[in-house]
Amino acid sequence: MNEEAAREGEGSPVLIWITALALLAAMVAIFIYVPTEKTEGAVQRIMYFHIPSAWVSFLAFFVVFLSSILFLWKKEREWDIYAHASAEVGVLFCTLVLITGPIWARPIWGAWWVWDARLTLTLVLWLIYVAYLMLRAQTDAGSMRARYAAVLGIAGFLDIPLIHFSVLWWRAFHPLPKVITSEGLGKGMDPAMLATLFISLGAFTCLYFALMGQRVNLEKLRDDIDRLKKDALDSD
Amino acid sequence: MDHLGYLFAANAFVWGGVLYYLLMLRKRSQALKKDLDLLKDILDKGPAK
Repeated sequence: MNEEAAREGEGSPVLIWITALALLAAMVAIFIYVPTEKTEGAVQRIMYFHIPSAWVSFLAFFVVFLSSILFLWKKEREWDIYAHASAEVGVLFCTLVLITGPIWARPIWGAWWVWDARLTLTLVLWLIYVAYLMLRAQTDAGSMRARYAAVLGIAGFLDIPLIHFSVLWWRAFHPLPKVITSEGLGKGMDPAMLATLFISLGAFTCLYFALMGQRVNLEKLRDDIDRLKKDALDSD
Repeated sequence: MDHLGYLFAANAFVWGGVLYYLLMLRKRSQALKKDLDLLKDILDKGPAK
């Protein structure tokens, strides 16, 4: 059953097509539709990759958090698979945040990196989930590994509210939130820029689900192999 | 003031990163499928005598 799901799932052609079309729409919006920002110039367009990458990494780590709680509660392997897959995709997007941020910062702030609260906490978040993946890779498979990983997955998520509020709580280099503000959603932003940002956020969210589907199938395939190996040993 | 090189670099890193991850997933998936087919063959033939 799992094997069938994995082989079929490699398709999910509808999701793959939706993702491809959404990414194409995002590229058109970013490079053709949206006007160039007056102060920063074309380099400001990095925002349409940087913010969606951050959003997807937060979403991915939220899925790790939720799946880890459900795994500890229900002890079902399925939740451990979701947590592991989502952590890997989350680390990928968090890496992209940590790369695109400095590339954007260099021409605007004159420095690749500053030890600002938001930047530092984002680096800490990345380190936590890299440690999560290393824990999974370096320890033997089994329920104890899954439990330790689940605890780390839950604890790591606590960094995300700190990242969000850090620019409000401490003096920061990083700009204040422009999308979710106390005055409302996207108030003070140019409507075309806001629309482009939302198109990009949607496209990156589709990309997250497409990558998650592939990664989950991979893990299920690995489970099938382990099961067959066990059957082969039992039959000897 | 446009700094197009920075925009290009950020764009290249994002798509390069995603493509690299997709290729890595495909490679891992192919290796696992190969293992699975091999195991199935072994099990179909029965235990070695």
